[in-house]
Amino acid sequence: MENLIKVQDLCKIYNPGENEVRALDKVNLEINRGEFIAIIGHSGSGKSTLMNMLGCLDIPTSGSYYLNGKDVSAMNDNQLSEIRNEEIGFIFQGFNLIANLNAIENVELPLIYRGIGRSERNRLAREALIKVGLEKRMHHRPSEMSGGQQQRVAIARAIAAEPPVILADEPTGNLDSSSTQEIMDILKELHNAGRSVILITHDDDIAEQTKRVIRILDGKIVEDYYNN
Amino acid sequence: MGNAIEYVKMALKNIIANKGRSFLTMLGIIIGIASVIMVMSVGDGTANAMNSEVANFGTGQITIYCSEDAVNMQEWITPEDLQALQERIEGVDGATPNDSSSGSTITGKGEFSLSLNGGTEAMQKALNYNIKRGSYFTAIDVEEGNRVCVLTDSDAKRLFGSDDVIGMDIEVTINNISNNYRIVGVTQQKENSGFVSYTYEGMPVTLEVPYTSFLSFGWESDSFYSVTVFANDKASGEEVARDIVHLMESRHQCAGENYYQIQSFQDIVSELNGMLAIVTTFISCVAAISLIVGGIGVMNIMLVSVTERTREIGIRKSLGAKTSSILMQFLAEAAILTIVGGIIGILFGLLGAVGACKLMTISMGSVIHPGIQVSTILGATFFSCGIGVFFGIYPARKAAKLSPIEALRRN
Repeated sequence: MENLIKVQDLCKIYNPGENEVRALDKVNLEINRGEFIAIIGHSGSGKSTLMNMLGCLDIPTSGSYYLNGKDVSAMNDNQLSEIRNEEIGFIFQGFNLIANLNAIENVELPLIYRGIGRSERNRLAREALIKVGLEKRMHHRPSEMSGGQQQRVAIARAIAAEPPVILADEPTGNLDSSSTQEIMDILKELHNAGRSVILITHDDDIAEQTKRVIRILDGKIVEDYYNN
Repeated sequence: MGNAIEYVKMALKNIIANKGRSFLTMLGIIIGIASVIMVMSVGDGTANAMNSEVANFGTGQITIYCSEDAVNMQEWITPEDLQALQERIEGVDGATPNDSSSGSTITGKGEFSLSLNGGTEAMQKALNYNIKRGSYFTAIDVEEGNRVCVLTDSDAKRLFGSDDVIGMDIEVTINNISNNYRIVGVTQQKENSGFVSYTYEGMPVTLEVPYTSFLSFGWESDSFYSVTVFANDKASGEEVARDIVHLMESRHQCAGENYYQIQSFQDIVSELNGMLAIVTTFISCVAAISLIVGGIGVMNIMLVSVTERTREIGIRKSLGAKTSSILMQFLAEAAILTIVGGIIGILFGLLGAVGACKLMTISMGSVIHPGIQVSTILGATFFSCGIGVFFGIYPARKAAKLSPIEALRRN
């Protein structure tokens, strides 16, 4: 069976020329289905750039990226939108919920762009919100919820369409310790249910809770090991 | 495109969620459209009112006057010419000399200057008035040179404090010679003639008298500088004018000398129309400026609202929205806002136009109907809506084309 993610010689260079910044320098990486991975590094190490590349939010300068068997590095803007919609569920540090939509409407968003009909959409969104324990907050707006609850809405949004990859960029960065643990528990559950979860973090304690850790420094992978 | 309903729903949700911003956007459109419709309608209505008034006032009037050459040669128009014009030219209803003099009178209300218009009984055709009391002076009065006069009810009130003055005498003094004129008729201004016959306090009191009555003041009326001929409705003014010149030239044996010249009322009307065209152009300029101002308002609010939603666009794109989906959403929003704003704007514009015309009708004593033109409404609406949609989509397109991480970074 082929890899879920296969990255070869991936480079991202900002300001090409004299003052060029190699945010990613010939990164090679393979991730299988069902893995629970932490990509760890300091700020400026290139981990966010890697996350943007893996999430198809940005285009690499060179190298190839196969996601679920598809060559993503050669795709145009519209195709990338489709890939993001179908293959990836995002969880952001800043939640990135839309303020004037309530929880269930926020969760429905990727399903709308996928073209799923109303009743099916509603059912999937409810199921996802129940999975993250927000069955009593479905009609609340983001401003009416705590940070931890907002991030759970974001997780529900990421999993509602059942994408193969869940990509979480510092999902606990804005949260207190008890909310952090709640979110980590949910991510672990998702992993146990068979989902592939990629977590980007700078926090070793968080990384320890995953199965595999990839450490990145100056745009290069310097460590790649499995937790016990 | 099956998702069109979704986009409209999203758009409605956003419009309702951002009531303040939506209202401001619509306000720009409302003001732009309403002001143009109002200004144009009132302007057109005023122009139409003036036009129809002028048209009522002087159709069929042809004035003949002696040219400079004729004056030098002492060739005038005689009472016999007047008679001949009426008898020998087809389509002529009457003719009157335009003889005038000024004098003064003293009544219980004080001293007034007088303007005496001497003519025949045909002069009443030129009036923009109805007879209110008594009657106009007659052909017999003209023949006998009777000192009778007709005046307007407002002048009668100035002189005597009442318009019930039939049978009263006015002592008219011209060049230190005084004669009494008996009032035989009082006229009243016709409705809807506020522009043409506006009177004010300092104007002399106008008396209309038989031209033959001037004999009482020591001068004989046997030659006139100008006369006015009234053509009937069926006659072509141009033909009558040509016949008049022809007849006058043959009577005075001066063919080809251009002694007698014609000024028909048509000339005056076209002159007035020229002035109205200038007024209309001016009004159109004002309307164009308000359209541009309204358009800039719409543009600004659209630019701001899209710019402040760049992050939202980034979120939607990261979740899989295509550039075209984002555009559809913003297009739906802009379209709903401009359509609703446009309808409200049209309503306010029409109401405003009717209201302004009512006010003008009351204050000027002249009936003005708003000249509402469908082309104005459509033009203003399309222009404002076009600006609204364009500036709703153009920045949204720019934002949607950003890479999602860049859009997400913006706050």
